[in-house]
Amino acid sequence: MKIDRRSFLAFVLGGAAGTALSPLPWKLTDDISIWTQNWPWTPVPPKGETTYVASTCTLCPGGCGIRVRRVEDRVVKIEGRKDHPVNRGGICPLGAAGAQLLYSPWRVRQPLKKVDGRFVPVSWEQAIGEIAGELRELREAGSPEAVAWIADTDRGTTAELIRRFLTVYGSPNFIRTPSAQDAWETALYLTQGQRATAGFDLERTSFLLSLGSGLLEGWGTPPFVFRACGAVRDRNGRFVQVEPRLSKTAAQADQWLPILPGSEATLAFGLIHVILKEGLERKPFVASRTTGLEDLRRNALREAYAPEAVAQATGLEAKTVVELARAFAAAERPLAVCGRGAGRVPGGLQETLAVHFLNALVGSVNVEGGVIAVPEPEYIRWPEPEMDAVASKGMQTPRVDGAGSDRFPLARYLLNRLPEALLEGEKPAVRVLFVSGGNPLYSLPDSERTAKAFARVPLLVSFSSFFDETAAAAHYVLPAPTYLERWEDVPGAAGFPKPVIGLARPVVAPRLATMPTGDVVIRLARRLGGTLRAAFPWESHEVCLRQTFAASWEPLRRNGFAIDESFKPQPFETASRRFEFGNADLKRLAEFRPLPAPGDPGVFKLTLVPYDSLRLTAALGTPPFLVKALESEILWKNDIRVEIHPQTARDLGLADGADARLVTPRGEARVKLYLTEGIRPGLIGMARGLGREAHDRFLAGRGVSTNRLLAAVEDPSGFEAGWGIRARLERA
Amino acid sequence: MEEPKSSAPSSRSESEKAEKGDGAGAAIILFFILGLAASLLVGWIAFPALLYSEKRQPVDFNHALHNEIVDHGCASCHFFREDGSFSGAPKLAQCVECHREANSDDPEEIRFVEEYVKPGREVPWLVYARQPDCVFFSHAAHVRMGGIDCAVCHGPMGESTSLRPYQENRITGYSRDIWGWNIAGIKRNSWDRMKMDDCAECHAQARVPGGSVQTQKDGCFVCHK
Amino acid sequence: MNRPKNKRYGMVIDLDKCTGCGACMVACMAENNIPFRDDDTDKLLSVSWMQVYRLSNGKPFPHAEECFLPRPCQHCEGEHGHSPCVSVCPATATDYDMHTGIVSQIYTRCFGCRYCMAACPYHVRQFNWWDPVWPEGMERALNPDVSVRMRGVVEKCSFCYSRYQTALNRAYVEGRRELAEEEYQTACTQACPAGAIVFGDLNNPAHRVHQIVKPDPAHGGRPRNPQAFRLLERLGTNPKVYYLTRRDWVRRAGDNEIQKT
Repeated sequence: MKIDRRSFLAFVLGGAAGTALSPLPWKLTDDISIWTQNWPWTPVPPKGETTYVASTCTLCPGGCGIRVRRVEDRVVKIEGRKDHPVNRGGICPLGAAGAQLLYSPWRVRQPLKKVDGRFVPVSWEQAIGEIAGELRELREAGSPEAVAWIADTDRGTTAELIRRFLTVYGSPNFIRTPSAQDAWETALYLTQGQRATAGFDLERTSFLLSLGSGLLEGWGTPPFVFRACGAVRDRNGRFVQVEPRLSKTAAQADQWLPILPGSEATLAFGLIHVILKEGLERKPFVASRTTGLEDLRRNALREAYAPEAVAQATGLEAKTVVELARAFAAAERPLAVCGRGAGRVPGGLQETLAVHFLNALVGSVNVEGGVIAVPEPEYIRWPEPEMDAVASKGMQTPRVDGAGSDRFPLARYLLNRLPEALLEGEKPAVRVLFVSGGNPLYSLPDSERTAKAFARVPLLVSFSSFFDETAAAAHYVLPAPTYLERWEDVPGAAGFPKPVIGLARPVVAPRLATMPTGDVVIRLARRLGGTLRAAFPWESHEVCLRQTFAASWEPLRRNGFAIDESFKPQPFETASRRFEFGNADLKRLAEFRPLPAPGDPGVFKLTLVPYDSLRLTAALGTPPFLVKALESEILWKNDIRVEIHPQTARDLGLADGADARLVTPRGEARVKLYLTEGIRPGLIGMARGLGREAHDRFLAGRGVSTNRLLAAVEDPSGFEAGWGIRARLERA
Repeated sequence: MEEPKSSAPSSRSESEKAEKGDGAGAAIILFFILGLAASLLVGWIAFPALLYSEKRQPVDFNHALHNEIVDHGCASCHFFREDGSFSGAPKLAQCVECHREANSDDPEEIRFVEEYVKPGREVPWLVYARQPDCVFFSHAAHVRMGGIDCAVCHGPMGESTSLRPYQENRITGYSRDIWGWNIAGIKRNSWDRMKMDDCAECHAQARVPGGSVQTQKDGCFVCHK
Repeated sequence: MNRPKNKRYGMVIDLDKCTGCGACMVACMAENNIPFRDDDTDKLLSVSWMQVYRLSNGKPFPHAEECFLPRPCQHCEGEHGHSPCVSVCPATATDYDMHTGIVSQIYTRCFGCRYCMAACPYHVRQFNWWDPVWPEGMERALNPDVSVRMRGVVEKCSFCYSRYQTALNRAYVEGRRELAEEEYQTACTQACPAGAIVFGDLNNPAHRVHQIVKPDPAHGGRPRNPQAFRLLERLGTNPKVYYLTRRDWVRRAGDNEIQKT
């Protein structure tokens, strides 16, 4: 038998028939089509038991209650806690993206030491040992005050552990990062004699007047403020936004008053002027609960604050000023707030005082619907530590930032003055600088000068969980666990009118070789021995927390927060027991003068004003979800877009989307233009939070940081009060 | 003259053809059958053998034995969580409730205790019935609301004394139980196959009319996610 | 089998309350495993089930006004469930479910022709041009209730259908077939810090969405509340996302009637 072409064909035909009669083609087709639906590189999240853990968010000073959804040991989602008094279920975009911070591959994985300009991993033992060695040397040399510590809060056990450490070590240089609270706290102290933070009873106000506050852009505790702003309308109240650009807050307000930037305080005085002149103040309150009105009269009734003059200074119409004053005074529960943008810059003390006086005139201080002095929490009652001679001597030295000095007697912390102090002298005043909160190398204005100043510190230690700008410049990075991996008491919620304490808890076991900052403090103290060792009887921060709360620990642990629902505003603590429009301390303040934007208006025809966005963070790195959600009106590819009015653009011969060079007295940057009718002509609006040098690949190297272009501006009380800088735009 | 000449060769060739045709025809049929047989062998025997890789379960679990001891049948170990989700294969913690130490001298149990309980390692059970990620299957809907017995989909698993090998489709990565053990896809019992058509068949019987505008059957999201 | 009454899940978004913060977008991304890329600034290429748009009244300074408009899938019912996208899908990958009123999208069924994207007047559908890739470790935050979409398919908002499925699971083990209003809420509704989003069953007079919009069944669900409107109402897509505002210009913009300046 011969195998020829025919038999071969027959074989193939038979094979085809057999194949068709077998499951092979049908099954294979099915399997291959399934295979195309299941690329092996498309991740399949593992299933498991879902559990929820109640905790507190610490990503901003808000202190919202969160509900963390876990699947087995993975954090899958973070939601707002419905039963939490502050946020009542709401959550801000940053809070909702929290899991991305926990699982970021750009976290600092273990303690790092910089050797020849590069970070090398070291053990905790070694890092703490070496830093303790430096501290011991410095102390033995008799200059413990050369140690400074920057933290983002001065409340809670971690901050108290740090302060206790510095005290017993002998340094007065605990520095809190700046915020609008600095000015508010001082204003409350000056007028009410109360050491308290300012709470705003926004939910009960019927006329909300915001002088530049980005109420919907991160000011205070966002979910609380958002809800309250919406509630003003629900009650047929009125919400007026005074701001040079049509921010998100202005867009939602009932009325937008596009004021000239930097003239908000003048407007406040103008309103006071009208109210006093027309006798619109709330007389029963003013008569029975205040004193020193004469001083305010003398100041505010000057011609400089008459409607015409105020109109001139603010760019508003005189009749608008008068109408606003009348409507504000006539409202049932009026409330004025200030603190520009998200409130990350203190602003001038006089500005805040003007707004506070305005509130007092209409009886909105320490009453329902007004500004409420929320006392600082007092749950931390540790025995006074024993101090040795070195410590006592060190604590007598003036603070490095000048706060509390004769020049700046009212300020408690002045981080904005630190760069200048570091740049003075042959040797910098600070030899060891710890940074456990904030990210000063990014968030202080005039980045170049700040970097130069910090570079002079011989030993810079960062506690950042992430590679931020400050960590990148540090000599040691001692990474703290994220807020989802540690215990932390969170006293107070920014702007919330009641005392509340939240508790952040480890939702998952620490992922990396991190250590809570409180534990590092305790271990440093133990290494240093003597009085330091004796001052820290706790084994760890967690033990310290439990012992500090004692009997209230269990309820706090169970609830996740504690609130004083029955809280009533406390009586004024001034000598007169009244609200003081005038007193000796207030008299000593320099006369109010609006602070101009730095720069020569002849050379720089425009003014750059930074603004805040809830989709960008200030100190912390912005997680990828937020960068993704960022508007293309702010970021386009790698370029930041700045807002200008079409008229301004026409004058410059520039079009929408055009590339331009933005020049200020402090620096220059490449930007793209975004033309909008929502900004005063002559201004350049620029979002804060871009231009990061460290962090992940989604954020780093994109856009420009406003702080590279801004200069430090200080008010007579020492507070950072910059609101902008002169600038010009050129065709790129 | 030319015509016969011309016809002769052709008639010869035809007869040759016919002669050859008989032999060639047989050869063709033979080859056809050979091809047929070979491809049938490949399709029915070699292909399934190649398509699936076989794995053994980490522990040879005896369902029947456990079923006798426990109080609530399958639900004793495969239970609903409070949130309505189904626990599936038990976690080690559940096993440990009874097996902190070996309860017998069964070598498999001793191995289980040594390899998993003592080091606290979860047992990497291979789940025969695991559906792909695009499928949302609600045990609560079927068992609690539908009143369907476990065996309808899982077969008499509770009566097994030993775990059969787990076969994984090399192309799709799915368990063989989804397509069914019969490579032709022939189904004798309700639990023999768990493809979408099998779900749809039962759904079509159970509820008319469906909500889907496209198919008039149940909506896609009823079983997909 | 006695089956529960048909639902028409829908949403009301109060534009006078929306602050444009983006919490809804981020909550949606976290809930629904939305991938992110190095550069997501081109919103036409960026996958985001919920997108907040900025509307302007087009007037010059200082009369300019802006409004933020969150846009999930509108879950159009069209006529008898023939929503624009469902009508055109050649793969039966998208479907309208009369039982819930939700427009589904089955990623494993979709073959990526993008006909639905062309048909959708609201731009809610997005195509996965790129493989979804998570930076190392970040895939730990993926939600197992929602399947991750492969490259080459179209995806869109599902009204967090997985939350409906999990809510039903709980109801079933508790012996119920009906869900309470608060049991099934979308991730954006839950997250919104301004309380601007309300979600529920438009068929159920006890639900807030019904009470707010007072849908008119005789006119394709048109709102009887004069402050409520739907996007591109004139197209007759019969969407189930309603918007609320006191501002006339916003309502006009919602139906493309804004005057060009």
